Amino acid sequence: MDRAAAIAPSLTVPGPGGLAATRGSVFNVQRYSIHDGPGIRTTVFLKKCSLTCLWCQNPESQQEAPELFFDADKCAGCGRCQSVCPEGAITMRDGRSWTDRSRCTGAGHCAEVCPQGARSLMGRYLSAGEVFREIAEDSIFYEQSGGGVTLSGGDPLAQPEFALALLRLCKQAGLHTTLDTCGYAAWPTVRQLLEHVDLVLFDLKHMDSNRHRQLTGVGNEPILRNVRKIHRELRRPLRIRFAVIPGHNDEIANVEATADFVAGELGRSVPVDLLPFHRFGEAKYQRLQRPDPLAGFVPPDPAQLAGIQAVFQSRGLSAHLGG
Amino acid sequence: MTPREGPTMDQNRSQREALPAGRPFAHSETTSPRIRQLREQLRVSRFPLSIVKARLQTEAFRNSDGEPMVLRRARALAHVLDNIPISISEGELIVGNGASQPMGLELDFYAGLWPRDEIEGLREAGYEVSAADEAEILEMNDFWKHFDAIGRAGQWADDRLWSFLQTGMVLPPWKSRENGPGGGYAESGLGLGPGFYLMTVDFGMVLERGLLAIIEDAEQRLAALRYDDPEALEQGSFLRAVVIAHRAIIRFAGRYADLAERMAATTTDPVRRAELTRIAAICRHVPAHPARSFHEAIQSFWFTFLMVTPSPTAAMGRFDQFMLPCYEADHGSDEEVLELLQCLRIKDMQFNRISGKVARQKNAGLAKWHNMVIGGVRRDGTDATNPLTWLVLEAVSRCPTAHHTVTLRVHDGTPEPLMKRALEVIRLGTGMPALVGDRSYIAYLCSQGVPLEEARNYAIGGCLDVTLPGKSRSAAVGMFIVPMVFDVTLLNGVERRTGQFLGLHSGEFTDFGSFDEFYAAFKQQLRHCLTLHAQKNNLDLLISRELYPDPVRSSLMEDAITQARPLLERTYLLENGALLNMVGMINAVDSLVAVRKLVFEERSVGQQELLDALAANWEGHEDLRRRFLAAPKYGNGDDYADGIATELFSFWADTAASLPSCLGGSHKPSGISVSSQWPGGALTGATPDGRFAGECLADGALSAMRGRDLHGPTGLMRSAMKIDQSRYQAGLFNLKFHPSAMESDEDLRKLSMLVRTYFAHGGKHVQFNVVSRETLIEAQKDPERYQDLLVRVAGYSAYFVHLGKAMQDEIIGRTAHTHVS
Repeated sequence: MDRAAAIAPSLTVPGPGGLAATRGSVFNVQRYSIHDGPGIRTTVFLKKCSLTCLWCQNPESQQEAPELFFDADKCAGCGRCQSVCPEGAITMRDGRSWTDRSRCTGAGHCAEVCPQGARSLMGRYLSAGEVFREIAEDSIFYEQSGGGVTLSGGDPLAQPEFALALLRLCKQAGLHTTLDTCGYAAWPTVRQLLEHVDLVLFDLKHMDSNRHRQLTGVGNEPILRNVRKIHRELRRPLRIRFAVIPGHNDEIANVEATADFVAGELGRSVPVDLLPFHRFGEAKYQRLQRPDPLAGFVPPDPAQLAGIQAVFQSRGLSAHLGG
Repeated sequence: MTPREGPTMDQNRSQREALPAGRPFAHSETTSPRIRQLREQLRVSRFPLSIVKARLQTEAFRNSDGEPMVLRRARALAHVLDNIPISISEGELIVGNGASQPMGLELDFYAGLWPRDEIEGLREAGYEVSAADEAEILEMNDFWKHFDAIGRAGQWADDRLWSFLQTGMVLPPWKSRENGPGGGYAESGLGLGPGFYLMTVDFGMVLERGLLAIIEDAEQRLAALRYDDPEALEQGSFLRAVVIAHRAIIRFAGRYADLAERMAATTTDPVRRAELTRIAAICRHVPAHPARSFHEAIQSFWFTFLMVTPSPTAAMGRFDQFMLPCYEADHGSDEEVLELLQCLRIKDMQFNRISGKVARQKNAGLAKWHNMVIGGVRRDGTDATNPLTWLVLEAVSRCPTAHHTVTLRVHDGTPEPLMKRALEVIRLGTGMPALVGDRSYIAYLCSQGVPLEEARNYAIGGCLDVTLPGKSRSAAVGMFIVPMVFDVTLLNGVERRTGQFLGLHSGEFTDFGSFDEFYAAFKQQLRHCLTLHAQKNNLDLLISRELYPDPVRSSLMEDAITQARPLLERTYLLENGALLNMVGMINAVDSLVAVRKLVFEERSVGQQELLDALAANWEGHEDLRRRFLAAPKYGNGDDYADGIATELFSFWADTAASLPSCLGGSHKPSGISVSSQWPGGALTGATPDGRFAGECLADGALSAMRGRDLHGPTGLMRSAMKIDQSRYQAGLFNLKFHPSAMESDEDLRKLSMLVRTYFAHGGKHVQFNVVSRETLIEAQKDPERYQDLLVRVAGYSAYFVHLGKAMQDEIIGRTAHTHVS
């Protein structure tokens, strides 16, 4: 027996057309992802998000279209990018290339020719079939570990057709599916997607809607409504994720309100993950040549985290540090 | 196909998860005062170099001129054991030094002499050699040149082999026919050597029967000799040699008993007096008699180990299995056992080795692989985990010294708590235990005609090669630099560095019209060079057989007394005497893949253009290099690249099987690089995988080239699993992890699943390199080489090189210095 065939995924890959042909924008496929659901997983990061959180760690995920990442330290100023840009968006300044972002369409020609790897394109449009094929490559690892696929983002709900197509392909192949979402979408959309989801990782940012709007650009009413329904009507396994952002949502009143909401409206069986803020996204802002909004943010200290954990525990909830 | 082993995976999974968690002894991070003291004694600035052992051997040899070699060697061993200075260090519970001083190195003359410039080299490296010693060494050179395997091989090498030896395609390159690569060895260990044998003697036999039983067998067999047998005299000499050697070993243990008694009489410390009295009683009893307790067994084991070394590759066998009866009979408390196991680790740390200047690079540092195997299956296929399996792991965790090596055999039914414990120990940063997959090893052995029950009893020799305790020995192992053959193919049979023509024209590179033609030429050259390598292996075996019969190691093999022959005059159940071992195979694979794609398929690069770029070491051809770097690479699960890897590994195994060994059977394929990727890379010109001339080659055999695997551990494993590893003796596979990616129990469980999946689908070995702070700093400076380094940032796993500088600095700051002595 051919060994390559012996270890190839036993899943059938849908042919052209239909689900597999649905296209969407993806900025990362992370394999051996071990903190986004049970077992060994592949996490697909979809671009586009309905929220604009001040502390966003994945700024390259906010818009749907591919965006240019530029690592100025690597640029040697050779000017090749300038000569291939169809929009004439690149000029040379102080021995380095400079991109006029208002003219950049994300075509990515500059990234292809950059000899230093200073330019790369974040995001590509792919068909659900293509993404599924990548996911399916690691099937043997999911089988042994009880893992599967996680859709994350951005927010997968912001590309609902694409997310649906991917989830359906994965479920058809018998894979465990996890949806990592901030839950901002119309209920029928959420309900339709969740038919194909085994576990939901649901973000709560702030319990006060006005404050939520200041921090994320939208009110929290549809979010809270959706999470209630996911739990009560659909009875989907659920984990709440609460990102602890010092000075923004860690005030005791909000922590208590969040814990009360989870314990009271969802129930004590719903576990909570406390995700401490970190500056992981800092370099990304630089590479997108955007002002760094994270400068004023500090990671929470361990004692503070323990205090927040204790608040959740006092409501009878199981609260874990880290995801 | 891998034969199916025992119960199915699902049955095994439920079994292993139903097992009780852990052993009932407390894990402790604290070090006992004794172990602290003994580890303190390991801190010496320079290992003392001595010629005492060589002097004693020389005296004995001068007095035995004309006798059969095996007897001369036995008398030399006896003379050393009767006269070499001995000592017991403060706090030691296991006694017996591997040299005339603790931590000492004894110069030897078997695999290379010590000419004046090499003695000077030793001094440059900081070793003290007095003028008087130098004169004596030069005098001994003159005596031992008649018994030196290197000089002997130089005499036998024909012109073709001589050209081949000079290239260093099998490391290291030879400088002269008389002195080979230059320099011999200085090592610890009191046995006869020489030492690069990958073998496991039957330690269980010594523990169970004692050496007197072996002596008695040999004497009976001697008495039964009849001179109508044409081999009677050879057999008789061998048997007499066995008797002489083993009696000497028993006397040697007796010297330690005397010493311990004398020391007990003079010490003022009553606790130490009791210890020394006990040591004396133990050394009176073992290894002459069967061991009755764990302490006796470990002392008997250590005396035996002193006799199978000097050897950097002498195996410690399935220690948790053969020690179990004595553990069960009498072991005091588990804490006492743990202390003895830590003492054993420290004893092995006292063993060292240096070699001539050139060979020093081949095995970086004080490399050695005294490999202790634990776990796996029993002969009947059931799980072999026992209390000692756990205790050995705990000893590594309490005494995380670099040696001895520990390898955990993993099978479908390995208890999950044991896996977890092993991963916790790995996380400490010593890289131990190494993990090997029973499925692939047992499948290999079965494919070699070894019965399943015997196959299940395998141990590891060297870092990863399969051995059968008492039933196999690999005695000719080279480090063959595969990408050098690629270069030779580009140059139509000429080796770039030396300009030597190696005897085969395979065509000008510019004349090949298709990839298939070029690939065929490469395989033709590869086969040609491997044939030369096989000739060298056989020559080495024949010379060793003639010069170095070893009555001790030979007698600790199966059926030794009945056969009455030294181990290089027998054919064993697993006849893996000669190996073809690859270094840098993946660089050759990636180079073939890139040439196929760019030169022959896309036709976007001209053949002459590539030759020019490689000759210029890519200088002035930077764009071209980037295109070659961007070509598909092994290690990403990509069929285009992996297809060639799969095919080439099969070709290598087929070639090995077609090249006979003079001991019977054929050569066997193996994949271990040790640290040869450095000197091998130094000898090899630029290669089309984007590598510069002189740059280090890919490590391991199944690992990707550094920084070229971009799809995480599962992508790398998918590539490696496509290769039929069950045809190989060994297949080294490294994964780099930062400790932050193995923090929680859940992280470890997933890591365990990753390993189990790899092993269930044909993987042979996984080594986790838990990276240090220094590595991270290096990665920050040179991201191209460390693209595969996974770290964890507050709940997210990420590639280190993709993080911003500030975040990288933070992670570096969090990474503790793990000092391992």
